[in-house]
Amino acid sequence: MVYFWLIPVISLIAFPVTIVFSRVTQQRAWIIPVFAIGIGLIIYCWALLEYVIIGSYYDNCLHDVFTGSISCHYAINWFMAGVPGTDFLDTSLGFVIDPLSLAVAGLGIVVALMVQIYSIGYMKSDPRFGWYYSVQALFISSMLILVLADNFLLLYIAWELVGLCSYLLIGFWYELPSAKEAAKKAFTVTRIGDVGLLIGILLIWYNVGSFNMSALFSAIDSGELNGTLISVIGFLLFLGAMGKSAQFPFHIWLPDAMEGPTPVSALIHAATMVAAGVYLVARTYPLFVSSDFMMLFVAVIGLTTAIGAALICLFSIDLKRALAYSTISHLGLMFLSLGCFGYTAAILHLLAHGFSKALLFLTAGNVMHSIEELDIRKMGNLKSIMPATTILFIIGALSLAGIPLLSGFWSKDEILVSVVNNRGIVFVLLTMLLVFISGLYMIRLVLIPFFGTSRTDYTDAHNLPVVMIWPLIVLALIVFTFGWLAIYMPGIYHSFGMFLYYGHPEQFHLDPVIAVIALIVTLASFTIGYLAYSKKLDIFTTIKTVLARPIKLIEKKYYIDEFFQLCVDKIMMPLSRLVSFLDRVFVNDKGINGPAYAVNMIGSLLRYHITGKIYVYLGLMALGFLAMSITWLLVSY
Amino acid sequence: MVPLFYINILSVLLFGIGLYGVLSRRSAILIIMAIELMLNAVNINFVAAAAVHEGSGMFSNFDGHIIAIFIITIAAAEVGLALALVLRIFKNKSSVNVDEFDLMRW
Repeated sequence: MVYFWLIPVISLIAFPVTIVFSRVTQQRAWIIPVFAIGIGLIIYCWALLEYVIIGSYYDNCLHDVFTGSISCHYAINWFMAGVPGTDFLDTSLGFVIDPLSLAVAGLGIVVALMVQIYSIGYMKSDPRFGWYYSVQALFISSMLILVLADNFLLLYIAWELVGLCSYLLIGFWYELPSAKEAAKKAFTVTRIGDVGLLIGILLIWYNVGSFNMSALFSAIDSGELNGTLISVIGFLLFLGAMGKSAQFPFHIWLPDAMEGPTPVSALIHAATMVAAGVYLVARTYPLFVSSDFMMLFVAVIGLTTAIGAALICLFSIDLKRALAYSTISHLGLMFLSLGCFGYTAAILHLLAHGFSKALLFLTAGNVMHSIEELDIRKMGNLKSIMPATTILFIIGALSLAGIPLLSGFWSKDEILVSVVNNRGIVFVLLTMLLVFISGLYMIRLVLIPFFGTSRTDYTDAHNLPVVMIWPLIVLALIVFTFGWLAIYMPGIYHSFGMFLYYGHPEQFHLDPVIAVIALIVTLASFTIGYLAYSKKLDIFTTIKTVLARPIKLIEKKYYIDEFFQLCVDKIMMPLSRLVSFLDRVFVNDKGINGPAYAVNMIGSLLRYHITGKIYVYLGLMALGFLAMSITWLLVSY
Repeated sequence: MVPLFYINILSVLLFGIGLYGVLSRRSAILIIMAIELMLNAVNINFVAAAAVHEGSGMFSNFDGHIIAIFIITIAAAEVGLALALVLRIFKNKSSVNVDEFDLMRW
C-alpha cells in the first residue's frame, strides 16, 4: 500500500519519456503510457486487496473520526515557512488511502487503461500520436495525485494540472478554429471556479493554519470555525467543484469540449476529470455536512443542472454533445445525492456513471470513426453495419437509464432513497421527472441513430479494428457486473456501503416501492420515446408545435452562452478597456514616461555650460580656487 | 637670508603670470610654456620652504628638494607628451589653436 504513490509517479515519468520516444517512432508511442498505466493497475489491485484484508493492521492506518472508515496516511516533509511557534506552516507531501480515494482512483485507472488501448486504433495515423499519449500520461498522473492528495495545496496543483491536460487535449486538433475556441472556453470557464477554490483554500489556511484536510476537519469538529465561515469556505470550494464538474451556470464549457478526440471525451470529460468536483465535495464532506445551507445549495444546484441539462440533451442533434449534456445531468445527480446526505450513493453513481459513460463515448467514437458523422439526424439503422457497437451502446444507455441489474440502476435507486429520506416532496417529484427525462433521451439516442431507416447509405463506412472493440467489451462487462457490488452477498461480500460510507457503515437499502416506481417511470419514458422517435405518432408533432416556445428556449440552451457573451461584451470588455486606458495614461504616460521626460528636459537645460573651450574650464577652476582661498582667509582671521 | 614671505610673493606672481598665459593664449605651444611657468612657481616654493625649515642634523629635511626634483622630472615627461599631442593635432587640423578643439562639447 505504501507503494501506491508509484502509480502517479510512473505515469508522470512516462510523460517526458513518451515525448522523447515518439521522436524515434511515432506509431509505437503508445507502448510507454499503456504499460505505465498497466503497471499502475497491478499496483492498484495489490493495494486494494491489502487495504481490504489487512488495512487496519498497518501503523499508518487509523480510524477516521468522520467517515468512520480506515484511512491510511503516508507523508514526507515538503516545505516549511514562517517562524516556529507563532506563524508556522509545515506542509507535508502526503497521500491518503481510504475507500473514497481507492474507489475514484480505481475508476480512473481502469477507464484510462481502456481508453488508451482504444486510442491505439482511434488515433492511429494521427500526426501527433506521440503527443496525444504523452498528455494522456500526464493527465492520468495528475488525476491520481488529485485523488490521493491529503492536503489542499497538492490537491490544488493537481486540480490545475488536470485542467491543463483538458485544455491541451480539447485543443488537440488546434488547426480547427472551433477546437481552439473550445479549449480556450473550457480553460476560462473552469478558471472562474478555480479562483473560488483557491480563495477557499487560502481562507482555510488563514483560519486553520494548515493545508491539511484532517486539520480542517478537526477544526470544524472542535467548533473553532463559526458557522458562517464554514458556509463561506464550503461555498468557495463548491465554486471550484461547479467549474470542474460543469454545474449550472458553468456547464457551458463541457459540450464544447467535445471538439477534442472522442477517447479524450470519454476519459476526461465523462469519467474522471469532471468527476473531480464531486470528488472534492465528497472529500471535504465534513465541511459540507456541518453547514445546512451548503447542503441545500449543493442539492439545489445539482437538481437544477440535472434537469436543465437533461432537457437540452433531449433536443440535441449532435451525438457527442448529447452525451455531454447527459454527463452534466448525471454529475448534477451526484451533487443532488451529496446534498441529500447520500454519500455512498453519490460515489457509487460516480463509478457506475464513469464506466457507463466511458462505454457510451467510446461507442460514439466507433460511430464517428466508421461513418465520420455526428449529426444523429443523418444517421439511422446503424445496427446493420456495426452490430457489436450497437449492442455496447444499448448496454451503456440502459445502464444510465436505470434498468435493473445494470450498474446504473443500483446507484440511481440509492440516490432516490436518499432524496426521499432527506428532502421534501418537491425534490422527490423533480427527481422522478429527471428519471423520466433521462430515460427519454437515452431511448432517443438509441432509437434515432441505431434503428429506424438509414438516411444515408453507408457504403464508405470504415471497418473497426479489433482494438476498438475489446476495450468496450471489457467496459460493458464492468457495467454489467459493477452494480452488484452495491448489494450484500451473504458469506462472500458485504455491500459497497460497508466499504465506503460517511459516519457509519450502511447496508444497501433497496426500497422496493421506490425502485418499482422509478422502473415504471423509466419504462413509461421508453414507451413514449418509442412512440415518439420510432413510430413518430402525430400527437408528438402537435405537442411540439404547442410547446414551440419552451422548446426553442431549450434548444438555445437557455441563452446561457449568450448571457455570458453579453457579460463579457458589456461588462468585462468596457472594464478592461477602462483599465487599459488608466494603465496607458496614468501608469505609462505619466508614471514612466513623465520622469524620463523630466530628466531629459533638465539635461538639455544644463548642457549649455559645457562649452568645450579649455580656458573656460580653467578659468572657472581658478576662480573657484580663489573663492575657496578667500573664504579660508576670512574664516581663519 | 631672504625671508620666506618674499619668496612666496615671487612664487605667487610667477604662478599668476603662468595662469594668465594659460587663460589668454590660444596657441597650444604657448599654453604648455605657461604651464611650465606655473610648475616652476611651485618648485620655487618647495625649495624655499625646505631651505627655511631645516630640521636637526644633516639632510634632515629634504622633502621639498625631493619633490622639486620629482616635479622637474615629471614636467619634462609631460612636455614631451604634450608636444607629441600638439604635433598630432597639428597634423589633423593644420592648426594649434585650442578654440578649434571642442569635440567634447554637446
